Amino acid sequence: MTFADLVQYVATGLLVGGVYALMSIGLALIFGVMRVVNFAQGDFMMLGMYLTYFFAIGYQVDPLLGALITIPPFFALGLLVHRVLLVRVTGGGDPQREMDAQLILTLGLSLIITNATTMILSPMPRGIRTAYATQAFAAGPILVNQARAYAFLMALLLAAAVYVFLTRTDLGKALRAAADDPEAAGYQGINVRAMHGIAFGVGIGLVAAAGGLLATYHPIEPTVAVNFIVLMFVAVVLGGLGSIPGAFVGGLLIGLVQSLTLLVLPFQLQNVGVFIAFLLVLYLRPQGLFGQRMRSV
Amino acid sequence: MPTTLSRRASALLPFALLALAGLVLTFAIQERYHHRILTLTLVWATMGLSWNIISGYAGQISFGHQAFFGIGAYVTILLIVHLGLTPWIGMLVGAAAAVLAAVLIGFPTFRLAGIYFALATLAYPLILRIFMDFLGYQEVAIPMIRERAWVYMQFLDPRAYNLLVLAAFLAVFWLSHAIERSRLGYWLRALKENEPAAEAMGVDTFRCKMAAYMLSAAPPAIIGAIYAHAVLFVVTPDAVFGLLVIVQTLVVCLVGGAGSKWGPLLGAAIMVPLSETLDMTLGDRFPGIQGIVYGAALVLVMLFAPEGLYWRFRGLLVGRRSAPAAALQPIASPQPDAAAPRAVATDGTPILEAHGVSKAFLGLRAVEDVSFVVRQGEILGIIGPNGAGKTTLFNVLNGFLLPESGEVRHRGQPITGLRPNRICRRGIGRTFQVVRAFPHLTVLENVMVGAFVRDAAEPDARARASAALARIGLETRADLLPTGLTTLDLRLMELARCMATAPELVLLDEPLAGLGRDGIEVMMALIRRLRAEGVTVAIIEHTMHALVRLADRLVVLDHGRLIAEGPPAQVTRDPAVIEAYLGKRWLRHAEGLRA
Amino acid sequence: MKATWVRLSGIIGAIALILGAAGGPVPLQPGPALAAEELKISLVAPLSGRWARQGQLKKMGAEMAIDEINSAGGIKALGGAKIVLREADAGDSVEKAVSAAQRVLSREKISAGIGSWLSSFTLGVTEVAERLQVPWFTLSYADTISERGFKYTFQSSPVSSLQAEQALDLILDLAKRNNQQIKKAALVGDNTAAIVFFFKPLREKLLKAKGIEIAVDEVWTPPLADATALVQKLRSAQPDIVFYGATNFPDSIQVLQKVKEFGLKVPFMGVGAWLVTPEYVQALGKELLDNIMSVTAAHPLKGQEELVDKFKKRTGEPFMTQDPLMTYYHVWLIKEAAERARSTDPKAIREAVTKLELTSGAAANALAPGRIRYDERGRRMWAAPIIVQWQGGEPFTIVPAELATRKPFWPAAK
Repeated sequence: MTFADLVQYVATGLLVGGVYALMSIGLALIFGVMRVVNFAQGDFMMLGMYLTYFFAIGYQVDPLLGALITIPPFFALGLLVHRVLLVRVTGGGDPQREMDAQLILTLGLSLIITNATTMILSPMPRGIRTAYATQAFAAGPILVNQARAYAFLMALLLAAAVYVFLTRTDLGKALRAAADDPEAAGYQGINVRAMHGIAFGVGIGLVAAAGGLLATYHPIEPTVAVNFIVLMFVAVVLGGLGSIPGAFVGGLLIGLVQSLTLLVLPFQLQNVGVFIAFLLVLYLRPQGLFGQRMRSV
Repeated sequence: MPTTLSRRASALLPFALLALAGLVLTFAIQERYHHRILTLTLVWATMGLSWNIISGYAGQISFGHQAFFGIGAYVTILLIVHLGLTPWIGMLVGAAAAVLAAVLIGFPTFRLAGIYFALATLAYPLILRIFMDFLGYQEVAIPMIRERAWVYMQFLDPRAYNLLVLAAFLAVFWLSHAIERSRLGYWLRALKENEPAAEAMGVDTFRCKMAAYMLSAAPPAIIGAIYAHAVLFVVTPDAVFGLLVIVQTLVVCLVGGAGSKWGPLLGAAIMVPLSETLDMTLGDRFPGIQGIVYGAALVLVMLFAPEGLYWRFRGLLVGRRSAPAAALQPIASPQPDAAAPRAVATDGTPILEAHGVSKAFLGLRAVEDVSFVVRQGEILGIIGPNGAGKTTLFNVLNGFLLPESGEVRHRGQPITGLRPNRICRRGIGRTFQVVRAFPHLTVLENVMVGAFVRDAAEPDARARASAALARIGLETRADLLPTGLTTLDLRLMELARCMATAPELVLLDEPLAGLGRDGIEVMMALIRRLRAEGVTVAIIEHTMHALVRLADRLVVLDHGRLIAEGPPAQVTRDPAVIEAYLGKRWLRHAEGLRA
Repeated sequence: MKATWVRLSGIIGAIALILGAAGGPVPLQPGPALAAEELKISLVAPLSGRWARQGQLKKMGAEMAIDEINSAGGIKALGGAKIVLREADAGDSVEKAVSAAQRVLSREKISAGIGSWLSSFTLGVTEVAERLQVPWFTLSYADTISERGFKYTFQSSPVSSLQAEQALDLILDLAKRNNQQIKKAALVGDNTAAIVFFFKPLREKLLKAKGIEIAVDEVWTPPLADATALVQKLRSAQPDIVFYGATNFPDSIQVLQKVKEFGLKVPFMGVGAWLVTPEYVQALGKELLDNIMSVTAAHPLKGQEELVDKFKKRTGEPFMTQDPLMTYYHVWLIKEAAERARSTDPKAIREAVTKLELTSGAAANALAPGRIRYDERGRRMWAAPIIVQWQGGEPFTIVPAELATRKPFWPAAK
């Protein structure tokens, strides 16, 4: 096995990881700010894929652009879902019980979304055919698939935008304040409930965009979420709760581990590598890569 | 207090009713498909009950319980296929394998908490699922036995399966009941509500979690084996290790209500027949719509009863048991102690010694080279300005933190690095700066958690706890929940809980904080009484004027260092102490005043 | 005391619910009661969830056959009895599939059943059918389905291991006729049962026996994260043929896209009908698909143009494939059995199937070789695999040559 081969594996892993990373940031935001376990996250991604598909087929909008266009409507959808449903099971002060309730509530939501989509749009898989999905950039002997490369770059851009938003803008800081210490934030005049709604909206918008990017090379069907939901949660927890860069790194890491595992384990055990790496990281660093250690007594 | 007989009867009654209901249904139902619904309901209720042991009682939410379910199913079926071993024995082997798996998984994973723990447990069944595919066990059909099929757990009559799962369910129900009433049950609830407090009260949280995990692992294996025979007929990795299994378990438990042995049954009895009815009526005609209705049902139940239907109904019917709005009169003075006080030894033997203890956090030296001694029978006060390292010091003494250097000795024996629960068992108790009550346990139950360190049986612990409450003067509050108690009552409760562990030394962290003048007096009188009964007291306090009256000796910390030690009169005049509290300028001013 | 009352009411409520479900509403009956007896056929297939598409395709085939039969007067031997379809959703889990089978078989008088596409579902469903003694017909390929000594299971596709053997001969023959040598083969697929059963004999004896080297042997667990490593191996090895088993649609799309990206020109031989469905055209485009082949159990043959046209008009599908064709065949087969049995009793129908030998009629014409008989294990005798090839955006039968609808085109290698 040559060095070039190894570089190819790394490149492949990072490209795959880039889209996982974007999917995970949305979840990390929701999780970090609201402590909500959103089981339906993957289904919102699926809806984002469908919307991107319709823009592509109906208006010849390239999915890379289509992914961006999905953000505003899904942000609004996220606000709505939070306002109507989630607000009843968050922010009440008993996080343990609330997590339980959120799990089931978002599970119910997931079932509704998946089945409704199957019934309305039919279960037949669809695909967006782009020229660049079957073309590659050649960097010497290394081949970098164009669709994945573009998706990776877009994911990076969006992640950077989110990071800037959270650290540089007042609204972003308010969000982080509401995440760190809701009570104190409330005293500062921050409307914590509105912050939750915004966080959820942004989280849903991001995962919808991730779906759009995914649609450049992945077929679209109502049950597509099931392939990614576990990886999303693994990435977020791997990165550490409450850390957006952590989730991004977590996603990249998962892609990388998936790829590099092929060098060590049989092909069939590819995802075993991911789970073992996940466990090892947590056992060595229980708070995840970038998470805060729980304050002791 | 109800008599033992009626308590026993009231414990047996629900059990008998359930058995009866199960039998009635088994023999009343006519259609084969309805028998299947009954089997499924009981399977998932049992699975839910098992999950409840680790995730409801112990509060460690597990997303990986299907690992045990799958291990049970696969071990049993592979033993049939490869060795021809009857599943009646095979499932016991499966259960043993599952318990072993629980130990292997629990050991490294219990140091994680919350969602980290939950997802780490999920990794295991997902790994197992991939492995089963890899090993070639994608679809293992249970070989159909035609002669003496019962030997291989194959029955033509669906009622046989109903009875089998009913038996399994009742067994796990009884197990849950036994746990609830046992010491383990109290300890699990305590560690679920507040793990550090439980540790300080002598609960070996790791052992308890492990015990709960092992107990919760065997039933899923058994029910998994039965499920394979009664419901699946063919075992696939996805069917027994997949997400759908844990999702079904979660639905059943969380809709019904976790933390109760009734919740999973209630959840299963509603959601499983609902799901099947939807499939039956709508699903075959308009496929997909049953998923929408079921999903909507889940959403609605969570909006109406986020804590679970059992708790919701119970709350509505039984009413809240917190303190009524009209506050009870604060306790004026505690009752004189009925039991004989311990002989007060005032020979000054050191009970606790700290030698050169240092603790730093990321470069910040919280405690630096602190050495002092706590002598038997004294009240030692530890004072110092904010951030001096007092609580950190207690955390080191008590086992919550490991010092970088130095050691702590109890009666000459080194105890540095022992876990808090071990230190508590040795006789060193602790209360906290902010009261750490177990919010969903009554005052009496809170105290019982401490009592269980000394008594293994529930009635004994209850008696000890009642006595402790009486000693403190809090017996009228015994059946109330901590929410709604006054600060004084809460502190008294915490003290009673600590006393129930029969300590010879108590570390009190700012017990007077948040109390009014009267409260302070009550507390101080109580502390003096405790000392009179033979308990040594080390007390961190801020309120100087109270401590100088209370303490025999003072130890002063500033910026992590011990700067003064001695009787209050001497220490309060020590220039270093004054400077620490008020600053150099004031010191000069004070000296100027004295001059 | 109050707490006990709460618990009691909980139990009673639960019992009430279960009894309510037990008493349950009778499933909706279509239309008024019929004068003549009905022949009820159940179809247990995934109609919702991940495999809903496959189930729906099966249903389309069944409905077409039922319409044909009923409009031609139904079952003559039963006084013109009409066939009624009772579909039950197998959902996306074995539990649901088996529940569906039990539900439909125990609540109504079902004479015969068809299903369930996924071999694990079929295994479970046939267990129910065997116990309830209702004949069951399936197109699943896995060998195990008819190796359990069951009397009521009829497997109409050639089993995977047999397909492997026969297909290899057919492929070598095809290659020879196109002046191509096969020296190196690649085995690339997922670890679902049908693929595993197909690859096993190839890997263990068949290829070696023909002197063919296995240059690449890669099996993955779906879903596939990325196809780069896989296709790279293919590129390095440059096999003369790739046996391909990516049954999960997104996996397959990724692999084929990657093949195009790498500019790989190797003949692909799929294993199963999943490779020849219309959604491939939409996802990959006609050009990419051209010349890809697949081994299937059934595909429209020469002489079935009318049938295919009718199907296309009815359903709007661009072409007909194995799944609806097989279900169509099964319905007609059941009809023939009912005619011979002169009864709707499932045992009698099963008896009739074991005895019959059809050489004409819609059932016989639907499948090669046009002669239908089942052996004592329930396997269709003389069942042979059909090789299908994508040409111009549609899959056509190319082997056996006498039943082919297009001439084969061996893709230029390298």
